[in-house]
Amino acid sequence: MENLDVTQKAPRTEPTKSTLPQPGRPIPSRAYPGALIVVEGTDGSGKSTQLYLLKRWLEIGGFRLHFTEWNSSPLVKSATRRGKQRRLLTPTTFSLLHAADFADRCERQIMPLLQGDYLVLADRYIYTAFARDAARGCPARWLRNLYRFAPIPDITFYFRAPLEVAVHRILSGRPKLKYYEAGMDLGMSYDRAESFRLFQARIMEEYDKMVDTDNFVVLDATLAVNKLQKQMRDIVASKIDLKRFAPRLQESE
Amino acid sequence: MTMPDQEQEKTPGAVPAGETPLATPPVAAAKAVAAAEEVSSQYFFGEPLVGFDPSEITGSLVVIEGMDGSGRSTQIALLQEWLESEGFAVQTSGLRRSNLVGRDIDELLAKNAATRLTLALMYATDFFDQVEHRILPALRSGTIVLADRFIFTLIARGVVRGINRDYMSGLYAMALRPHLTFWLNVRPETAFGREFKKAQAINYWEAGRDMSLSHDLYWSFIRYQTMIKREFEVMAKKHSFLELDGEASVPAVNKQLRQRIGEQLGIRATKYTPSAALAHLWR
Repeated sequence: MENLDVTQKAPRTEPTKSTLPQPGRPIPSRAYPGALIVVEGTDGSGKSTQLYLLKRWLEIGGFRLHFTEWNSSPLVKSATRRGKQRRLLTPTTFSLLHAADFADRCERQIMPLLQGDYLVLADRYIYTAFARDAARGCPARWLRNLYRFAPIPDITFYFRAPLEVAVHRILSGRPKLKYYEAGMDLGMSYDRAESFRLFQARIMEEYDKMVDTDNFVVLDATLAVNKLQKQMRDIVASKIDLKRFAPRLQESE
Repeated sequence: MTMPDQEQEKTPGAVPAGETPLATPPVAAAKAVAAAEEVSSQYFFGEPLVGFDPSEITGSLVVIEGMDGSGRSTQIALLQEWLESEGFAVQTSGLRRSNLVGRDIDELLAKNAATRLTLALMYATDFFDQVEHRILPALRSGTIVLADRFIFTLIARGVVRGINRDYMSGLYAMALRPHLTFWLNVRPETAFGREFKKAQAINYWEAGRDMSLSHDLYWSFIRYQTMIKREFEVMAKKHSFLELDGEASVPAVNKQLRQRIGEQLGIRATKYTPSAALAHLWR
């Protein structure tokens, strides 16, 4: 018994100052022991595939991790579905509903996991909202304020593909584009494919603006899947001390 | 890294309108921008709402604020009858009445399933859905909108739960600026008696029980509503609320409301006695 005590790490003490999301104050990545890796990019940029492969790599290595997706909280799912079906959503309410969804995930999953020393992988993050909602006309300043409670990622991968490549990947793979997905609410074109193209072009423009301001790691999404994945793994290994998330030692043996 | 501290300075959208001029634009564009911002700050607290032309407003937005038990709903029912008898079209709005998420919020409250931030953002969604689908169309058609609570309650609720004040007001930067904002000010003790009488119990949220202020429900209610009241006092100055003594009798409060609204709408004689249907409120 005594031996056990010696080999075990001293438990982390609870910080006296609250490190829970303080809406209004951005959370620097040093405020918690975990790490946050984010992928961003337009539809069809291949980011989800790449994050999946990164996740597999880390899982196989036995690292402590959690994967989270944009727009996945059951809390606001029914409202989002209703809003989309009945086309009730405006740029403002579309944006707010997604922020509510993200807040729920942030307060109940992302922050606790970062506090609990996990590696958190996020398929899309607040930059999706910045790009897409700004493309819909929401004021940038208002959007930045809206998400001020979000922890800042350790790495944000931005998968950049030429517009035509990304649009082609989506249009050839999907039977029908959905109304909001195609940006039909913006009234840019009656043709869904054309509307989608125009909407994606705007989103890409917004993403490009954030490359410097938000420290994106830009990856060329036209590269072969395995090459891209190698780049990603190299960057993760160089920027994040992965040992910290390695399987805990079986000291009791 | 991504959202550094100076971001706070870059987001004066958080500051309610009328506070700081937004940015210093280049000289050439300065005039046009200033003019546009003046128009926008006349109608909005900060940023203009996406895709909306404020010059189309012909109605009036009258807001009645005040804590639970301050008599808001009673006064709104009476005002609606009075205005309709004067020939004005009236539309009412209130919290959790949107088609988009009204019921979802009811559910979240019942289950107590959401964290404070999620709840604040759901309320914001509810608010803007009503602004865009109900309040604005009404104001465009010359209707008088009587709002039972507005952004001020929502801001106060967030702030007392520890959400940054700038964050909350930034959230509502695109809210319409009311023509008149009344504040029915009552003591929490009075409000307690009125609320208890209504339901023979004190509601979980009205007592702010999610905040763990006290296990004694009376004190929980008093402490929570006092905190809310303090936030109202801060906002009353900033947004020139018309403060009324909510402890005065219903007819006395109603008279003051009618006088001020009458001035706004150009109604000379503001005499009114409620119909039989509403007579029970007239005490």
